[in-house]
Amino acid sequence: MEREEVKRRLAERFGDKLKIAERSPKRVFVYAENEIWVDLARFLFDDLGARYDTGLAVDDRDGVEVMFFFPFDKEDFFVTMKTFATKPHPVLDSITPVCPGAKWIEREMFEMYEVTFRNHPDLRPLLRADMMPPDYYPARREAKDEHETVRERDDGDWMAGQVFGESPNGENP
Amino acid sequence: MVKKIPIGPFHPVLEEPEFFELHVDGERVVGLDMTIGWSHRGIELLSEHKTWDQVPFLVERVCGICSCSHPYAYVKAVEDLLQIEVPLRAQLIRCIAAELERLHSHLLWTGLAGHFLGYNTVFMWTWKFREPVLDVLEAVTGNRNHYAVMRPGGVRRDLPEEEIPNILKLLDSLEKNNAMLTKAILDDPVIHARTKGVGVFPKDKCRLYGALGPTARSAGLDIDDRRDHPIDAYSKVKFDVILCQNGDVFDKAVVRQLENFESIKIIRQCLKLFADTKPGDICTEINEVPPGEGIGVYEAPRGEVLHYVRSNGGNMPIRHKIRAPSFNNILTNEVSVIGNTVADAGLITAAVDPCYSCTERVGIVDRRDGSRRVLTEKDLVRLSHEKTEEIRKRFARQSGRG
Repeated sequence: MEREEVKRRLAERFGDKLKIAERSPKRVFVYAENEIWVDLARFLFDDLGARYDTGLAVDDRDGVEVMFFFPFDKEDFFVTMKTFATKPHPVLDSITPVCPGAKWIEREMFEMYEVTFRNHPDLRPLLRADMMPPDYYPARREAKDEHETVRERDDGDWMAGQVFGESPNGENP
Repeated sequence: MVKKIPIGPFHPVLEEPEFFELHVDGERVVGLDMTIGWSHRGIELLSEHKTWDQVPFLVERVCGICSCSHPYAYVKAVEDLLQIEVPLRAQLIRCIAAELERLHSHLLWTGLAGHFLGYNTVFMWTWKFREPVLDVLEAVTGNRNHYAVMRPGGVRRDLPEEEIPNILKLLDSLEKNNAMLTKAILDDPVIHARTKGVGVFPKDKCRLYGALGPTARSAGLDIDDRRDHPIDAYSKVKFDVILCQNGDVFDKAVVRQLENFESIKIIRQCLKLFADTKPGDICTEINEVPPGEGIGVYEAPRGEVLHYVRSNGGNMPIRHKIRAPSFNNILTNEVSVIGNTVADAGLITAAVDPCYSCTERVGIVDRRDGSRRVLTEKDLVRLSHEKTEEIRKRFARQSGRG
């Protein structure tokens, strides 16, 4: 399906619930409201025949931006659907009933950014170590800030002492 | 009652950590739970602390085999953000390095699959044929692995023109060897019996699960980013996309073997186009990266690699997402392993050419009594070899030789 046709049908189906931006002839970005999130995925995947590719989350001060890529292979362009889930506890509908392939990426977004996906069949953490506290979301800027502070404090001087031995002047050479 | 068998955290075939929990009823697998994340290195986060030019060195370490594909997708994402074209010579060098990588990756997979089936001759052959490919990669890029050839705007190193006859010589001998290997593998009745109809992943499921690369093409899903989203010199070369219909282990092997011939074809065409280029014209200089976002895709040996970068106008990406093809492909195991035996499970999970370091372990639990046992790599390889040996003996008996 041609790019213009896709844009027209999206605008026709969802009206002012979404905004379409085109950065380049091969990249179409669709900004959607949370309520039409799953319908939009179903429309792109089932009705327009796009391929499911993957998704990602970007952390922001007020929320988490979630996006999924739906390439149209025959016509060589990507449609990226985006939405914004607001903090402190971002919640979004899961698109796994439409594309089961999104299971793992939604689990990853949950464990890294605390985006809770409603209707996800199995929202367990995917990648992180078992000993991490359950309410720790490593990619959130709040967690990153904490990490940076810890790193500054722990600059490795204590280790240098262990490895090279304490210097006679009391300072490490 | 279903028994659960843990396999891992070390993978039965490859050396990378992963954990599969097979739910078995007798010898038949009825359920599968996969746990990944054992070698999660936080590369996306590290990347946000590196400059645009330093990131290719980092992302080529995502995977030792795809150490050309990841930087390739990354530089394409940056170039998508900047909307720039790279010089033809750089495009050709990128394609040659990427296709040589595909050749060595497919040969490596065939060898490992042979070893797992109990055909160590196949293993020895493929690895012998793979060695000169690595030598040529060294000649082209300077390294046998982790090529460090990509940079946003072009490539880092010009191809020494005196190497071109050597590359052509390699392609000739590799084409002959690959033809012999393909015929030997595809004509073997034991390999047929062992891999046909095993681990079937159908076409409709491929679409739902977002399966990529040879996993999807073996089931007849016609996708190949080199043709569908052509980047650089791929729009200037002709090649066929190899498709099969059944989606079983056999078809996955066929797709990979035949793709080797297409890669050889692409490299030859690229080398021909080299005559029209000027030595040294290998990079478009980039002064600054404006705020924005870019998506880069490239068809790696295992399927499409996707990189997404976002810039705020500074000298580092503020978000860099890496999606390796195995992330989508490994999930397909939850369909393809079900209904097969434990002896086949290792082969099926290996057939998607999984790369756990890109994505990121197996246990067996009996549903009859809930008991657990752990299978080591040796156990799985032994089970697989026993099955091949059984089939071999049966064939020998049938032909009156047993």
